[in-house]
Amino acid sequence: MALLEAKGVKAYYYVRQGQVKAVDDLDLAIERGITLGLAGESGCGKSTLVNTLMMNVKPPLHLVEGTIVLDGKVISNMDRSTLQKNIWGVLVSLVPQSALNALMPTMSIEGFVKDVIRHHMSVPDSQIISMTKKRFEELNLPVEALSMYPHELSGGMKQRAVIAISTLLNPKLLIVDEPTSALDVCCQKQVLRMLIDLRKTGITQSIVFVTHDIAVLKQIADWITIMYAGKIVESAPTDDLLNDSKHPYTFSLINAVVTPEPEVRKRGLTSIPGEPPNLLDPPKGCRFHPRCPKVMDVCRSVEPTLVKIEGNRIVSCHLFPSES
Amino acid sequence: MVPPILKELFKTKKLDISLGIFIGMVIISIFGSALYPNPLAVAGPSYRPPSNAFPLGTDDRGRSLLALLITGIKNSLYIGVTAALISLAIGVTIGVISGFKGGVTDSSLMLITDLILVMPAILIMMLIAAYLKERNPLFVSLVIGITAWPWVARAVRSQIMSLKSREFMYMSKMAGLRDMRIIIEDLLPNMASYIFMAFVLLMSGAMIAEAGLSMIGLGVTKGVTLGSVLYWAQQNDAVRRGLWWWFGPPGICLIALAASLLLISTALDEYFSPRLKGG
Amino acid sequence: MSHRGKSLKKKLLSLYGNPFIRFVSRRVGFLIITFVIFLLIIFALPRFIPGNPLATLLYAIREMPPETLQLKQKQLIEQFGLGKPLEVQFYEFIARLFRGDLGTSYSYPGIKVVTMVFTALPWSLGLLIPASLLSWIIGNLLGALAAYKRKTLIDNALLPAFLTLTETPYYWLAMVLLYIFAVTLKIFPTSDAHNFLYFPSLRLTFILDVLWHWTLPFLSILMGAIGGWAIGMRSMVIYELGADYVSYADSLGLPDRKVLLYVFKNSMLPQITGLALNLGTILGGALITEIVFNYPGTGFLIFRALTQLDYPMIQGAFILLILTLLIANFIVDLVYAYVDPRIRTGYIGE
Repeated sequence: MALLEAKGVKAYYYVRQGQVKAVDDLDLAIERGITLGLAGESGCGKSTLVNTLMMNVKPPLHLVEGTIVLDGKVISNMDRSTLQKNIWGVLVSLVPQSALNALMPTMSIEGFVKDVIRHHMSVPDSQIISMTKKRFEELNLPVEALSMYPHELSGGMKQRAVIAISTLLNPKLLIVDEPTSALDVCCQKQVLRMLIDLRKTGITQSIVFVTHDIAVLKQIADWITIMYAGKIVESAPTDDLLNDSKHPYTFSLINAVVTPEPEVRKRGLTSIPGEPPNLLDPPKGCRFHPRCPKVMDVCRSVEPTLVKIEGNRIVSCHLFPSES
Repeated sequence: MVPPILKELFKTKKLDISLGIFIGMVIISIFGSALYPNPLAVAGPSYRPPSNAFPLGTDDRGRSLLALLITGIKNSLYIGVTAALISLAIGVTIGVISGFKGGVTDSSLMLITDLILVMPAILIMMLIAAYLKERNPLFVSLVIGITAWPWVARAVRSQIMSLKSREFMYMSKMAGLRDMRIIIEDLLPNMASYIFMAFVLLMSGAMIAEAGLSMIGLGVTKGVTLGSVLYWAQQNDAVRRGLWWWFGPPGICLIALAASLLLISTALDEYFSPRLKGG
Repeated sequence: MSHRGKSLKKKLLSLYGNPFIRFVSRRVGFLIITFVIFLLIIFALPRFIPGNPLATLLYAIREMPPETLQLKQKQLIEQFGLGKPLEVQFYEFIARLFRGDLGTSYSYPGIKVVTMVFTALPWSLGLLIPASLLSWIIGNLLGALAAYKRKTLIDNALLPAFLTLTETPYYWLAMVLLYIFAVTLKIFPTSDAHNFLYFPSLRLTFILDVLWHWTLPFLSILMGAIGGWAIGMRSMVIYELGADYVSYADSLGLPDRKVLLYVFKNSMLPQITGLALNLGTILGGALITEIVFNYPGTGFLIFRALTQLDYPMIQGAFILLILTLLIANFIVDLVYAYVDPRIRTGYIGE
């Protein structure tokens, strides 16, 4: 059974001008023991999706429809306090996009750790500290950081500390939102190393890595899912997706990435013309059709459905019609 | 036709009400002053409660309190505007120079600003006003104006410093434009909204400050302001004599003016910094 | 340098390395400069302002009978050192200050200024200290409440109330309270700090009498000052509620009240600084409020001195008031330095 199964999820923002359909009728399954990369342009709904997946839904965002089952438990109809006590931090943790500012400036790291753990388990403070120290050592973080305040830590260390804090209670699912975007290359490597260690030591079962940077997914993801305008357009194992992408959007996205490989010079870079659609009023039919180089008539009026192709891969495109 | 910013602003009820109150009072004071050209003239018997002839009663010298009130509003507004302009001029100038030049100029200007910030404005005003024998409205505005500017200077300075690092500034400097021109063409337009809000707040504070000065007897020596009426009320023990029509209305008018200005400034602030709206 | 001198120097340097000490010494230096500048202003004003107030005063009393005139003239000349060169005047001024001599009252000859001010000061402090602290605490709590309940009826009702309250002068509130509760309902006394028939002592009846007289002035200042804190705290909390650490703590499952506590802790810091900055304003308002009640504090003292043109008294009272204010400022600064971990660890700023 998959670690997380989401079916028919619709998450909209209710704003004055109408409804922003950030996640629209989406199905997703996250298997156990994989690192899933979730990629797409800014504004395609990735962050909204991962927040919805753990049911961190606050107005003006609403879960309009859909079920979400995490580790066998239906979390889409749990109330907030149950989620706070039993799910968040315990089964699933989210490392936010702004991890560098995620720690309160007036509290030391260990102060925050104590609060988090005390809420979920009743354990004496001394034990909390020793547990945390051990975990920090396991993950190659300096133990002295515990007694420091956030402003005393460097950016890379803050990011890793936040990841460590998020996994203290061994959540089965860890979601990291753009963990490397604000860091320089050497810090990026350390963060990726830490994520790999988390899976290796069994602290977490699966990781969802949200990013707009496909290049980094090549190093860490087993499986990549591409999102566009609130919908999943393709999902496949990493190598298959990068070398043999099926959806036109995926293809364009990969071609827009600069890699230090000689073929790039021959191929040249192509950017995708046009802009992502306004989710208040998305285009009819396939949402990508205004920018698609392979657009057909049917694309303009009918929405494609997700179909399975060779070995568990999923695509949503009229180039791959469903069997009917 | 109506600029979009005004359209958006007027959607807020807060702004409508407070603007309405404020403008209403301004109009009343202007037209009312025409109706009662001589508020300081004796109009009837002393210490009379409100009646048909005198809607707000009379004071100890038989003057109509309504006439005094209306003229008082006008003069308080005058002092409010003048003092605010003075503070604005000083504060913006110092803030711009300090933020723009940086370095030693900045440090020394900010030291002066902090010194005046720490000293209680009321005490300084009292001190200066105490030694001035003749105090006309302009003088009083001056006294208020030179003690109220420090927060404006600080705020303007931080705005300038954040604007300074933006790209369009860099472009202007690269193009070789002279400092003065950069200030006028690039910086000030971006600060216009902020300067306007500062003016509204300053005016609100100035009117209250004037009333405070008058209460200790250090307000305008001739003429009547809202503070003067309150002062005379206090001198004649109006509260203990139960003459509520003497001290009540001027206070209410003062609060209405100052609070409506504050509301206007708050509404503007919410408009310009959406995070406060909770968006 | 001798061995002992060297180790002393080392000790001082290491002390200075401590960011806390550095902060405190910077603030003390600043406050001392402020005091000095203020003294200069106090010295210069009566002598340089157009209209020459001292000469005016001399002229104003020329109608008096000759003996009184002589006495008054002698007083003025002696107090202000008129006729001597400016540097000598200033030197005498500062020298007297250090000796604690602020001269004698012009209106009540023979009575020292320091005596009168120190008699009046406790009454003012008795109003100011509880009112400042309580209004700060209550105002901040109400502001946080309004921010937490933003967009509900509570906030929509509270915010305009705060805005109006903050623009209401304490002394006008005093007039209203006096009129309603003392004049009309006759629950509280109408003036003074205590019944004149009672001799000041520590007996319970006297203390109760003092409290009874203290209530209305205290409430006026308290209610007048709450509004400002509430508005400031409300803005701070609204701002902080949108901060990243709030959503992160929330997503880790921390309960709402814990997250609110974090927001409160973070919002308190600027409010402490605000307290230091606003002490002067509260002081000014309180002084004028005393006048309404005939409350025998420094405010009333200054008011009388201003009316009677008792310049030595005006001068002396102002100097002592400023000194009190600067000391209060310093205490608040100390509290802030202790509470903010960034100062304790030497964080200079982003």
